[in-house]
Amino acid sequence: MNSANVIEIEEPEMTEAIACCEVRMPAGLLGFEHIKNYLLIAKPAEAPFRWLQVQNNPSLAFVVIEPLYFVPDYRPDIPQPDVDFLGLRSPEDAVVYNIVTVHGPRRATVNLKGPVVINRNTGVAKQVVIANAVEYSVQHPLPVNGTV
Amino acid sequence: MLILSRKSGESIVIDGRIHVKIVRVEGEVVKIGIEAPADVPVHRREIYEEIQRSNQAALTRQNAELPKLPQPEPAKPGRTISKVL
Repeated sequence: MNSANVIEIEEPEMTEAIACCEVRMPAGLLGFEHIKNYLLIAKPAEAPFRWLQVQNNPSLAFVVIEPLYFVPDYRPDIPQPDVDFLGLRSPEDAVVYNIVTVHGPRRATVNLKGPVVINRNTGVAKQVVIANAVEYSVQHPLPVNGTV
Repeated sequence: MLILSRKSGESIVIDGRIHVKIVRVEGEVVKIGIEAPADVPVHRREIYEEIQRSNQAALTRQNAELPKLPQPEPAKPGRTISKVL
């Protein structure tokens, strides 16, 4: 290949692409049972955080994160009725997010007792109270830069 | 509050579709069996309220500024980071 024809450009616009998908929560979030429809929004600049935004009220949102990197030994035990409710046929069907509370620029915690489990095939989700909730905190600290 | 006396093995029916059965009484612990439709969430109250409070504290505005996290360690083999659905 003639390298003169190959142009590599870092396009900032591309990295700012916003990915979005609909998430239906028939049972809502605990305390927000009346809100059933959300959008899961990923902005590359804000990774690994994502937004679980109320579909018809864009100003209301939850910050979520996949627990994997920051709590590598996280093993949520999803009760069978929830597995059935979500229609999960294998662990690969499930995407797990945990809700983040941003207390300020220097402190954020994540709720490990009640993850939001999404069936990646259907977009149906539920905030599950995990069977091993006693092993985890609702305010697990995230390693925010400068504090750890 | 409605208060009913029940013996071990007896139940109550709520709304014709939720069955609550006293399975066993052991000292101060009562084991309760609950049969409810899948769309009726059933939780231990203290955990429900803890997560509810956490959710209420977590609710924020879309344009809120997020803290910076350190670069995560590389994923372990065999584990995948899922993409947006």
